Amino acid sequence: MAATAVALPLIFGAAACGDSNDDAGTDPNEKVELSVFWWGDDSRAETTKKVLDAYTAAHPNVTFVTTFQGNQGYLDKLSTQAAGGNAPDIFQLDDNMLSELAERKVTLDLTPYVEDKTLDLSKFPESLAKYGVVDGEQAGVALAENTPGLIYNKSKLKEFGVAEPTTGMTWEAFITWAKEVSTKSGGKMPGTMDPSADYKALWVWLRQQGKEFYNGKELGFTAEDLTRWFELWKGARDSGATPTADVIHEGNSSDASKQLVVTGKAATSWVWSNQLAALSKNTKDELGLMAYPGDPSGQWARASMYWSGSSKTKYPDVVADVINYFVNDATAAKTLGIERGITPNLDLRKEVEATLTDANQKTSLAFETEITPKFGAAPTPPPKGHAAVRTLLVSIAESVQYGKATPAQAAQDFLTQAAGKLG
Amino acid sequence: MALTTASAPVVPEQPGRRSPAAHKRRGSGGGRGRQGVAGYVFLSPWLLGLMGITAIPMLLSLYLSFTDYSVFSTWEDVQWIGLENYQEMFTGDPQFYRAVTVTLVYALVMVPLKLAAALAVALLLNRAWRGVGLFRGLFYLPSLLGGSVALALVWSALFAGDGAVNEFLAFFGITGQAWVNDPDYALGTLIILGIWQFGAPMVIFLAGLKQVPVELYEAASVDGASPWRQFWHVTMPMLSPVIFFNLVLETIRGFQGFTSAFVISNGTGGPVDSTLLYTLYLYKRGFAEFEMGYASALAWVFLLAIGVLTVVLFSTGRFWVHYADGEDR
Repeated sequence: MAATAVALPLIFGAAACGDSNDDAGTDPNEKVELSVFWWGDDSRAETTKKVLDAYTAAHPNVTFVTTFQGNQGYLDKLSTQAAGGNAPDIFQLDDNMLSELAERKVTLDLTPYVEDKTLDLSKFPESLAKYGVVDGEQAGVALAENTPGLIYNKSKLKEFGVAEPTTGMTWEAFITWAKEVSTKSGGKMPGTMDPSADYKALWVWLRQQGKEFYNGKELGFTAEDLTRWFELWKGARDSGATPTADVIHEGNSSDASKQLVVTGKAATSWVWSNQLAALSKNTKDELGLMAYPGDPSGQWARASMYWSGSSKTKYPDVVADVINYFVNDATAAKTLGIERGITPNLDLRKEVEATLTDANQKTSLAFETEITPKFGAAPTPPPKGHAAVRTLLVSIAESVQYGKATPAQAAQDFLTQAAGKLG
Repeated sequence: MALTTASAPVVPEQPGRRSPAAHKRRGSGGGRGRQGVAGYVFLSPWLLGLMGITAIPMLLSLYLSFTDYSVFSTWEDVQWIGLENYQEMFTGDPQFYRAVTVTLVYALVMVPLKLAAALAVALLLNRAWRGVGLFRGLFYLPSLLGGSVALALVWSALFAGDGAVNEFLAFFGITGQAWVNDPDYALGTLIILGIWQFGAPMVIFLAGLKQVPVELYEAASVDGASPWRQFWHVTMPMLSPVIFFNLVLETIRGFQGFTSAFVISNGTGGPVDSTLLYTLYLYKRGFAEFEMGYASALAWVFLLAIGVLTVVLFSTGRFWVHYADGEDR
């Protein structure tokens, strides 16, 4: 009783405070304070804050409260805030989560701003602009572009006397190449990480056969497709082209510092093209970058990250303008560089390129420039439930890797269980 | 005798023996009203905590377990789906059964071994020898670090394919396993980690051993009982309430195992779900897959299971736990 008596006025008091500002947002010089939240390291924080400060310099009435943290726990925190109705005004997302939040109306619908060009996406590659659309709503705007990339150990290949792999080689040719690396290294360094648990490798492979990972809100492939995928890699493992299951398990962690190309337990890792610089920091060897095997048209311009607004924000117009500033202002683009991925605005991409000094960043950019014309159309962003499907794929693929299930059995299990997670 | 004095205060508390006067005192209000208010005021921080941090969230989670609540749902989107979550759990979720099996294996193997280790070391440390205090401290240390992330990280480094354990084994010409990265061994390493942290029950055993009256041992040895017989017929019965206490506590703790599995498997419960402890699965569904409604249902089934288990333990206690004042019951 006592507790309720104390708690009730608090709740109503808080609610009353929240309502008082609702009719604001008409006066252009009104003081506006926006909260901005993203994940990343200190260097990302520094550039992001610089851009926000520049925005404030141009619009003195707009100030920002910024928060950032490591990737781990980012979504927990964002979701807790969203659940309590205090989502930040602007926050960073990636395609793993975009649909999840858009379908639950956590994100602000930016479509009207895109239509009236307050938020100008006309300089974006078309597929990149579309990759932020969920159920017909512009739920996020790509902050940067990347694509799946194979990162291989150049130094070691030279040492073993094996030629570098090339974009466009077939999957079979790639596995044969990897086998050669294993042999030439005297069995010390298997040629490639086994990507059978990696959704993006599977996705590219499916697209090369005219299928998609998702068909709307369902899986876009059959148990037979997945069986063939698992068998492809079972063959590679049996031939010695990949490490053993326990080492693959270490590499299945998404942590950049545990990628096998960095820990020296395989010559190739299956990652994203913009990760070249980050992975290079963790090894002394020189690394190279190429597309996933098969026809590069299986790949697409992926938004490595988005800015999204909160559907509860009091200042949707300002939010749209700030996002526009991030992607279309030349100074902002140069400040941000390509740490999050390649600049999304094609006109600014050249200008940013001229400012780059880091050799790995230059390689990433050159790769992206070379492959962009070969891209296929972007799929729709993964649906709600994607995060769960990804972890399911890891545990099912591992059951094949450890020999606990046959490819066919595992594929069937995956389809049954994934259906429940997507529903 | 010492025994009777120790148990004396307990006797009047027994329901059958309460005096009629005590009943009457409890019933009558009299001048106690003001004292009651003061009592509630002093209790209020605790009451607020109970309501705000325990009772209300628990009731809320019970309600949510019948809905499709996701972390991102606003109250308006939450839909009542009846028993669907529970139905799905028992009929359509192989991972649920996997998690139950892993947890049962973990707790049922770890708890007895941990208690045995705790008791054995407590018996050793109960002797009065030089430096025994230091050893008590050293043995207790691991359980101070018990839930820590750092320790789990050390563990996964020790038991990694190229870790210290395998280097040690290689010294003897044995080729080790990939321990934490092998689905056949990963849970075993977690169990060993759990057993190693036997410090807390050990301290309680030590306290229990100190309570056993020396006269009993003297009497037994006068009667010619061997140390082994003394252990079985004096130490064990006298210690049984403490064993029981530790058993209940450690069983519950064992079922709640989380941190080490979370850290060692990187939050996945892998490889191949071999370390998917129940609470880890619950966490995954709630925070990584955002299905809070389902996670709430998992939590309530868990609560009920632990409740039933505790009741079962208590009912078996009647057959083997001896209280010093046993003749009163």
